[in-house]
Amino acid sequence: MLIFSVFKTLTDQQVIVELKNDLSITGVLKSVDQFLNIRLDNIKVLDEARHPHMMAVKNCFIRGSVVRYVQLPAEHVDTQLLEDATRREAQNPNKR
Amino acid sequence: MSSLQGYVDKRVLLVLQDGRSIVGIMAGYDQKSNVVLSDSKERVYSMEEGVEEVPLGLYLVKGDMIILIGEIDENIDQAVDLSTIHAEPLPPIRH
Amino acid sequence: MDPSSSGIQEPFDLIRLSLSERVFVKLRGDREMTGILHAYDGHMNLIMSDVEETITIVDTESPEGSNVSVAKRKMDMLFVRGDGVILVSPPSRS
Repeated sequence: MLIFSVFKTLTDQQVIVELKNDLSITGVLKSVDQFLNIRLDNIKVLDEARHPHMMAVKNCFIRGSVVRYVQLPAEHVDTQLLEDATRREAQNPNKR
Repeated sequence: MSSLQGYVDKRVLLVLQDGRSIVGIMAGYDQKSNVVLSDSKERVYSMEEGVEEVPLGLYLVKGDMIILIGEIDENIDQAVDLSTIHAEPLPPIRH
Repeated sequence: MDPSSSGIQEPFDLIRLSLSERVFVKLRGDREMTGILHAYDGHMNLIMSDVEETITIVDTESPEGSNVSVAKRKMDMLFVRGDGVILVSPPSRS
């Protein structure tokens, strides 16, 4: 729930999603859901010369389970807030 | 659920777990993100030859197999001569 | 030692006490990283900053037998999906 909320605060920000097939896609985060499925707008594959498969794709839906990393815009992440929220969630293991 | 509704009736690219790329019109989907494509084709990539399009027709793809759904910009897609594109297939997902 | 005195009763407590500290994370696919831990959840999804990732590549094709090389890269702020996490280790307190 916590991580889902963090992603929600980052909508409309530029991110880089790295998949478990080593494909990296940059784009504007448009939405996330509880499974951390991700919708990106205005996308670009980082190594497009090697992976031209998505040249004509402008926006996409990525299955959460195939994501390895997401690089986030550090200037839009309040780390103190994150740590406090994480401690709070760790204290009441209500709905993990 | 980050909905797939916006992709219905659009031309889309599906990338599958095993690295295959399939294009077609999204006819529908369900809760488990199973997807039905009409007029679908697999795009087979290789370094030796240009991209080969293998017609598949009406196709049902299981949601578990799909790693990415992308909306295709028709103008860009039509401007690309697939026979000139040489590339390795996308790698399969390794969990 | 009384486990309660350290504030550690369950494995996740060890991670909780590492918040805002540099941690070492081992991941699937011969990947390791260090970074400052800012958030985690029960799936071991992590958010870390100032991350340095190390990928170990074993080249078995090479003529001189198996050859090991490492690739490093840095990332400012990173979400790591929990299903790839093998272990999280707190900073060494020396």
